[in-house]
Amino acid sequence: MTRETLIAALQSAIGPTCVLHRPEELMLYEYDGSSLDQALPDVVVVPGSTAEVAAAVRAATGMGVPVVVRGAGTGLAGGTVPDRGGMVVSLARLNRVLSIDPASRTAVVQPGVVNTELSVAAAPYGMHFAPDPSSQRSSTVGGNAGSNAGGPHCLKYGVTTNHVLAATVVLADGSVVRLGSTVPDAPGYDLLGAVVGSEGTLGIITELTVRLTRNAEDVRTFLVIFDEMDAAGACVSAIIAAGIIPAALEMMSGEGIAAIEASVHAGYPPDARAVLLIEIDGLREDLADEARRIAEVCTASGARELRTAADSAQRERLWAGRKGALAACARIAPHYHIVDGVVPRSRLPEVLRYSEEVAARYDLKVVNIFHAGDGNLHPLLLFNLRVPGTRERAVAAGEEILRACVAAGGTISGEHGIGLEKRDYMSWLFSEDDLSAFADIRAVFDPTEMMNPGKLLRTGAPSADQAPTQAFRRTTERGAWI
Amino acid sequence: MDFTLYSQPPARVITPATAEDLADCLREASAAGSSVVPWGGGTRQGLGGPPTRYDLALSMSGLSRVVEYTPADLVISVEAGATLGMVQETLAPHGQWLPWDPPLPRRATVGGLLASGAGGMLRLGYGSPRDWTLGMRVALGDGRLVKSGSRVVKNVAGYDSHKLHIGALGTLGVIAEATFKVAPIPPRRQTLIAAFTTTKAPLEAIAQLRQPPFHPISMVILNDEAERAIPALHPFLRDHSHYLMVAVRFAGTAGAVARQIRAAVAHCVELGSRVIELNELDDAPIWEAIADFVQPTGDLMLRVGAPLGQQYEMIRLLEMTTRARGWATARMVIAGVGLAYARWPIAGVPAAALAAALAELRAGLATIGGYVVIEELPAAPGIDRDVLDVWGAPPETLALMRSLRAAWDPAGVLNPGRYLV
Repeated sequence: MTRETLIAALQSAIGPTCVLHRPEELMLYEYDGSSLDQALPDVVVVPGSTAEVAAAVRAATGMGVPVVVRGAGTGLAGGTVPDRGGMVVSLARLNRVLSIDPASRTAVVQPGVVNTELSVAAAPYGMHFAPDPSSQRSSTVGGNAGSNAGGPHCLKYGVTTNHVLAATVVLADGSVVRLGSTVPDAPGYDLLGAVVGSEGTLGIITELTVRLTRNAEDVRTFLVIFDEMDAAGACVSAIIAAGIIPAALEMMSGEGIAAIEASVHAGYPPDARAVLLIEIDGLREDLADEARRIAEVCTASGARELRTAADSAQRERLWAGRKGALAACARIAPHYHIVDGVVPRSRLPEVLRYSEEVAARYDLKVVNIFHAGDGNLHPLLLFNLRVPGTRERAVAAGEEILRACVAAGGTISGEHGIGLEKRDYMSWLFSEDDLSAFADIRAVFDPTEMMNPGKLLRTGAPSADQAPTQAFRRTTERGAWI
Repeated sequence: MDFTLYSQPPARVITPATAEDLADCLREASAAGSSVVPWGGGTRQGLGGPPTRYDLALSMSGLSRVVEYTPADLVISVEAGATLGMVQETLAPHGQWLPWDPPLPRRATVGGLLASGAGGMLRLGYGSPRDWTLGMRVALGDGRLVKSGSRVVKNVAGYDSHKLHIGALGTLGVIAEATFKVAPIPPRRQTLIAAFTTTKAPLEAIAQLRQPPFHPISMVILNDEAERAIPALHPFLRDHSHYLMVAVRFAGTAGAVARQIRAAVAHCVELGSRVIELNELDDAPIWEAIADFVQPTGDLMLRVGAPLGQQYEMIRLLEMTTRARGWATARMVIAGVGLAYARWPIAGVPAAALAAALAELRAGLATIGGYVVIEELPAAPGIDRDVLDVWGAPPETLALMRSLRAAWDPAGVLNPGRYLV
């Protein structure tokens, strides 16, 4: 099989205009949002229907060519990087909201619909799509499902898997199956539950039926300011321990606060050591009660000040700070390695403290910007790639922090996925038998391992150059950080 | 405990004391080709009908401990043989609950309820156990003891394999341990009961009570046979006329609950409700009694699912199928969710007549995208799954399901003949 044969087969399967193969076209598909690794695909297809996805997949896998599915490419674990070459399936053209049923509060969408666009489409019905990853202005619903994405409001409303009711999936052999149902508890194994979060390793989702969530009657947003990070961490633990589940409970710490303020003017005090962004929503009587209890816990935890957003403009400013945090940190250092560990919420203060100790030991700046209420830590390890050795230090520090998360009873990824980045960390959590059961699931859907091979699980033909540090090196040499 | 299933005693009962023991038992059973029926509280063994072979009863009574519970994390891990009631009693002193209320919680085990896909009345407000299960340890049919998920509330490491075991009737493995996210118990819960005389009015009431500002956590519609079958409701509707009863439950702070109750009463009156009553004390016993409607009684119990847009048609089909035959059937609709349960009396009804009625109902539901499953097949002469089709036509994913079962239970020893594969 030559590359030319593959391209010709794809052109005849789905038409020539949707098959990209020139080098300058392929370069757009060699990375994801992590810059962990880069690799050129042999060919990219941009199909316009389930049937075209199926035809392209059938053509590729029939020739033994691996298939990597891609939404907006905002992933942070290397999941959509075609590290073994092959065919990338871009779902960019499958970008329509097909229907919204306000009575059953569901929407049928194509996978390339951008997350916020779905909420915009649902807004006239007083509803929204609850999963709200910080990438939501560019990431797609299909990508959110593929990685089981989270987001600030998942604390109350659950992650993506809780909002996907059914999906049409193209399997490795080009067959099309419909998984799940809008009718509850229909007989059959919950295969959809395995596919959501499978990072493109079980098949390609080409249509989804998702749950829409009714907009809350009222919302209140608070900014709580702390002079000590320990106190902020303890405050988060205390809020959860008091049985209060806010809609969102976010934390930002350290130099990040000043950087956000300089960049976004969100109204955060630049001298704060840590701030909490707390949002509650629901019926107004419930909110009054929750607001009072939150204020009590914050005061008891030693908060310097609790500010309440007076109107929706102030609320949006506070959120703009949180959502723009990653970009703002470029003011501190141009590059970051983002960690995505989770710990039991009662263990937050100690693991937070530990993450700062680790960063100091590796001589790295660290900013914690994360979903505190879920115990989902995102230490951003900041560095400058031009300083030799810093990237390796960042990866090594991230690894130490993740080991601490596991030791505290937590996990190595709360929402970003395993992809390439954490494939080798899976054995920290899972035994050989555990991993063999995962491999069985993969083999059921994709017996010859054609769909995103080598991601999530280290299976199939291993290649020598996949260690994360080497991937970093390749990236540096090409000078292509995004 | 009696492990007789459809008049058939097992050759042997084994009671593993640890998850590792459990896995060893399954490894040996697989090697010997001995069929295994996992047994929790036995409250839902009528689902799936009799096994084709029954060598071993695998009692889970030795695995009933709380493994880990840190109230401040709102997460609990328990062994699968623990009863749901025990779990709730562990949580309650800390002001927490697992918002899942299937029937007979004091006897039913967590593992059995998960494996049999048992629902509850709180589904409207809190979702299904799938949404609250964070992870599991499972002994697969071939004896591998494997885990998936985690003990934290957010995790994307590995496939969510635990979801595959929910509702799989133990045909892929036996759940050894489950970890749940739990919730704070809302400070106040109150229930409104309204009675209507037409089929459409309760559905209209339900539709309105799903709109702002309402956030009901449970809503059911009961026909009068169902009301009669639930003694806890008798004090509410004393005259026992032919009513359709709607029970709606709200939860939250006293102020939010009171506002919703006031507005709900107004809606029900406007829709012609004849009687409206409120519980003034703890409404938990009412909802336990309503949930227990789904317990085994010797009747044929059906579970029906249909799209939310087809609820009227679903109820009409249930009604027509039995009324034409002169059967008095009790019926409960889990409103706002798309599920209903119906009890068909079998005394004096030939099995062939039941089969014909089931086939007719199934055909009707198929036209609206619904399904019907026999939730409880009573052990009675002539009643058998050879005559009554428990699950209906298999889903289009049957080939994938078979291949998964072959990977995890290669000897096919788990609950043989009771599920779709």
